[in-house]
Amino acid sequence: MLKNIQEWILILVIFGVIATFGNWVGFDVVPVAAIPGMLVLILICLAGLIIQKLIPVNIPSVAYIAIIGIVVSMPAFPGSAKIVEWTTQVNLLALATPILAYAGIAIGRSWTDFKKLGWRSLVVAVFVLLGTFIGSAIIAEIVLRMQGII
Amino acid sequence: MTEDLKNVWKDWRLHAIVFVIVLLTEFIGIHKFSVGPGIILLLPMLYAILIGLGLYFTPIISEKQAKNAEPLIVLGVTLLIAKIGVIIGPSLEQIIAAGPALLLQEFGNLGTILFALPIAVFLGLKRESIGMTHSVAREPNVGLIIDKFGFNSAETRGVMAVYIFGTVFGAVFMGLISGFLATLTPLHPLSFAMASGIGSGSMMAAASGSLVAAFPHLENDIIAFAGASNLLSLSTGLYMSIFIGLPLTEKLYNVLSRVKDKNAATNKGA
Repeated sequence: MLKNIQEWILILVIFGVIATFGNWVGFDVVPVAAIPGMLVLILICLAGLIIQKLIPVNIPSVAYIAIIGIVVSMPAFPGSAKIVEWTTQVNLLALATPILAYAGIAIGRSWTDFKKLGWRSLVVAVFVLLGTFIGSAIIAEIVLRMQGII
Repeated sequence: MTEDLKNVWKDWRLHAIVFVIVLLTEFIGIHKFSVGPGIILLLPMLYAILIGLGLYFTPIISEKQAKNAEPLIVLGVTLLIAKIGVIIGPSLEQIIAAGPALLLQEFGNLGTILFALPIAVFLGLKRESIGMTHSVAREPNVGLIIDKFGFNSAETRGVMAVYIFGTVFGAVFMGLISGFLATLTPLHPLSFAMASGIGSGSMMAAASGSLVAAFPHLENDIIAFAGASNLLSLSTGLYMSIFIGLPLTEKLYNVLSRVKDKNAATNKGA
């Protein structure tokens, strides 16, 4: 467990450093301004990963991480204003770019399988993604309008 | 697991390469161009995924590095989720107010069946089409299909095909179409934000990122709705498939294939 935690920290910090620099180049946020927010995010992740190991229920760690993130940033939570202020400096897109850079490298391994897909599979796969996206958007639009939110 | 992770953080070459990709792509920045009335947004994350994939085929990246990249994606997504959490927190009231829309749009995932299954059957695919179109085919659904139909079944071949497509091109595809459709159609960006949460971290990031780039003044609302919807999809998606999606797909497949066979028979007769 301790060894696990140590390695999570190392990997999250490596990732955090890369994203902090991306955040600087892409969004003009100097690293000094982004570091407190990045540390908060890393601590939220660690808390979620550790809780997932401690609680013997099969719930994915991202669920705990999301809940912790929501709770500590709710106005009622002590210090939440600071947490929100700091994490605002870390742009979502700056976190997404390194994820997809690693993903691009990793999906090379699926390329041989991908090449074997026939054209019909590709056509259907495109409509599968389009179908869920447009289907969900239409329902959301109808309900949000009925509620008067948009 | 521990031994693997040790090799992962020690793979400095991999991290250095990603560092360079990130600096380069963020430096290039966001580019937009119009296609008819819609706008296509090119985001740094889209260049990053394509550069990463391209490098895989050069000696710069070895098989080992490609493997080591996988846990980085998983932990990177946890950071993304933490960030989404702290965006949802302050606007939790607003999310709860939009609760009915959030819950009901989960049924939109069934749109894939109504939309894609007829096309699959029309293209002449057999029972593969059940695996292909019953859901967006992320990991839990691959598990469901293998569990139900067996590893060597046609259904499993189908679900794997869509899974592989989603793995390789899902994020790029969602990133390109979400900004485009949101600028092209009269639907509200927040509706598309909810639709972005289809149960895959990278696809959600690409789809909602593209929306944020197109509608910067709605940034926090877009991320909060997309994130909340993605969490719902992750927690309800599998049950939706087990109880509604898969039975519906099988029923509809039987109807469609009967219609197709009948048509084929008539055509031959004529």
